[in-house]
Amino acid sequence: MLKFLKSGLLATAVLAVPVAAHAADVADGEKVFRKCAACHSVGEGAKSRVGPHLNDLFGRQAGTVDGFKYSAAMVAAGESGISWDEQTLTQYLVKPRDFVKGSRMAFAGLRKSADVANVIEYLKTFDEKMASSLGSAEAEMEEAEVETAMADKPALAADMPLPEHDGAFKLGRAATEDEVAAWDMDIRPDGVGLPVGSGTVADGEVLYTDNCAVCHGDFGEAVGRWPVLAGGQDTLTDDRPEKTIGSYWPYLSTVYDYVRRAMPFGNARSLSDDDVYAITAYLLYLNDIVEDEEFELSNENFTDIHLPNEENFIPDDREQEAHYADKSEPCMTDCKPDPVGITMRARVLDVTPDSEEENTGGAID
Amino acid sequence: MSKKTKETMDGAAASRRRFLQAGIAGGAALATAGAARAAGDPVITEVQDWNRYLGDGVDAAPYGMPSEFESHVVRRDVPWLTADPVSSINFTPLHELDGIITPNGLCFERHHGGTAIIDPADHRLMINGLVDTPLVFTMQDLMRFPRENRVYFLECAANSGMEWRGAQLNGCQFTHGMVHCVVYTGVPLKYLLEEAGVKTSGKWVLAEGADAAAMTRSIPIEKALDDCLVAFKMNGEALRAEQGYPVRLVVPGWEGNMWVKWLRRLEVGDEPWAQREETSKYTDLLANGKARRHTWLMDVKSVITTPSPQAPITHGRGQTVISGLAWSGNGRIKRVDVSLDGGRNWHEARVDGPSLSKALHRFYYDFQWDGSDMLIQSRAMDEAGFIQPTKNELRAARGENSIYHNNGIQTWHVKADGAVENVEVS
Repeated sequence: MLKFLKSGLLATAVLAVPVAAHAADVADGEKVFRKCAACHSVGEGAKSRVGPHLNDLFGRQAGTVDGFKYSAAMVAAGESGISWDEQTLTQYLVKPRDFVKGSRMAFAGLRKSADVANVIEYLKTFDEKMASSLGSAEAEMEEAEVETAMADKPALAADMPLPEHDGAFKLGRAATEDEVAAWDMDIRPDGVGLPVGSGTVADGEVLYTDNCAVCHGDFGEAVGRWPVLAGGQDTLTDDRPEKTIGSYWPYLSTVYDYVRRAMPFGNARSLSDDDVYAITAYLLYLNDIVEDEEFELSNENFTDIHLPNEENFIPDDREQEAHYADKSEPCMTDCKPDPVGITMRARVLDVTPDSEEENTGGAID
Repeated sequence: MSKKTKETMDGAAASRRRFLQAGIAGGAALATAGAARAAGDPVITEVQDWNRYLGDGVDAAPYGMPSEFESHVVRRDVPWLTADPVSSINFTPLHELDGIITPNGLCFERHHGGTAIIDPADHRLMINGLVDTPLVFTMQDLMRFPRENRVYFLECAANSGMEWRGAQLNGCQFTHGMVHCVVYTGVPLKYLLEEAGVKTSGKWVLAEGADAAAMTRSIPIEKALDDCLVAFKMNGEALRAEQGYPVRLVVPGWEGNMWVKWLRRLEVGDEPWAQREETSKYTDLLANGKARRHTWLMDVKSVITTPSPQAPITHGRGQTVISGLAWSGNGRIKRVDVSLDGGRNWHEARVDGPSLSKALHRFYYDFQWDGSDMLIQSRAMDEAGFIQPTKNELRAARGENSIYHNNGIQTWHVKADGAVENVEVS
């Protein structure tokens, strides 16, 4: 590490530059804002959605957009004198829940100081008061911009000494612990990977109603062709089996893992670990696997819970099927009685996309 | 109905209208052919516009597109299959293609959280878990490893999944179009894993995507160290965004879901992770209520692509070409047979073009059609000795609720007028 610091002078210098001296770039800020856009809108006609709209943000007292339901904490923060400017936004965006304890904003924060500066610069373009001052600010930062731009490009990696590793090609660099922690979020059936935390069925019901019910239905029965999450027990041998968490999924860890990595659809990674415990607990409740609304699921009791269908998964044994086990030469002549009859036509339930008839087919996913 | 879906359907309807109009025009030409014979074919006897006036210069199309007369050759989707087009599927127009290579823009798409748009400068590939040194690679790092070029098919495990309960979709684009085959350029996965140093306890690799679904699959270490590639080019150019730009995993012969796109992380572990796509999905429910898991390999399979419902015979009786595709996750295709009478009698087809392991194979059967009804089928055999089963054999073994891994023999009913229909036979 010492060696890295000494010879990585350029990179170190850039890292040491305080936020204020960063070249703030509107275009880069627009990219960063994609992380925010799942909940916030900005620009012409922007309306408050999951989060308040962000037009004319600068100088706005915290928690004061008309008609938006803030957390009590955010309203209190505004009343105590906090209004949004470059400094307060910078502090807030790094760790929202540290700056305003109890903020409803689920976003964990922007780790890169350049991202913070850039997104603030982007938001300024939607603020009548700030937009006029943008030109001069850019000129001032021109010099710093060159360094930042270089530091952001992986091309620089070639100039940095590589940390030692035993690989044959000596390519790549060692991952930091924080980097591995940021991406390694998978959870196994034996509980490996579960974060410390907990959530109750009752908490989960509120979260589920807000975040999940729009697609999965109030009771996990699903809207349209979105996945059904509850019910379907004892249907696996039916003509139309209903494969749900309770009827089909083998492991509870998959529920936690998947909700945390990919849900809610279109706003992934926005739930806290405790939120995911609560939603998972509620899904157990919807599937009658727990019956107590006060039940609390946590990393401590997680692996005590087994889903009903766990034992019904078997290894791949296709090769033993009769048609595969017999590897003799296939029949070439008079293999069936003459003539061969048609037993079914696609036309009968024509669901080909060009046709205007209603579909009756089964979904594949 | 979403806007995209509506456009897709309008496009399909429009192309069918064009096809019908062309047929009518062709008929009219035939009717007047007798009168015109003395004078000759006007496209020959009269000077045509394209023969007189200048065409576009070399600056007209910096990235070339297909001829305007090929605008009907597009991917299509089946809106009712899935809840939303951002977690859905479209299909390769197999009936319009030939040879073994699929053009990049026609490779079917399947993704679970829409197409991730990633600047390669912002992309990283991490290796962590049971390795000596967890590593991070930039795209530039990946380009410095020794590369390989390999042709492989990629088939979604759910290809033909809608046909389990019987003939359903009229067109091989829809029944078999979740397959494509391109030449990949990439780095053997084993080089990357060895660079990090896999510990002896490492038995599995979790591949993870950078998309909004953070797609994950567990892959046994034997496969990871065998023939998997980390690919950044397809057919010589960068991966298309919808195929995982800037980098995807290639898992030859195994189900498409494992070929994680927008690949950002590989974790080495001692047990599989039982992720959503290997438990609640991509497991094969049998008639007895048990479900097979880890059914990775794509079985031996074939389909006749022309004639087929979207590509009827329009030339009448006489010399006729039956053409199709065959493939197997076990390796090369050893032989393809074609039947004209619903599987009673079989004729060996001619495989033409390269015969590469775990790649599409192109076959032809050239014959004189007498103009009578036909029930055409193809049956593939692979070098491991596996023979493509009938749909009824599969149903007898598995029931009708497996969704995945339907490699049964397809039957097309060719009628005397050349129209073709998807049918099942006795």
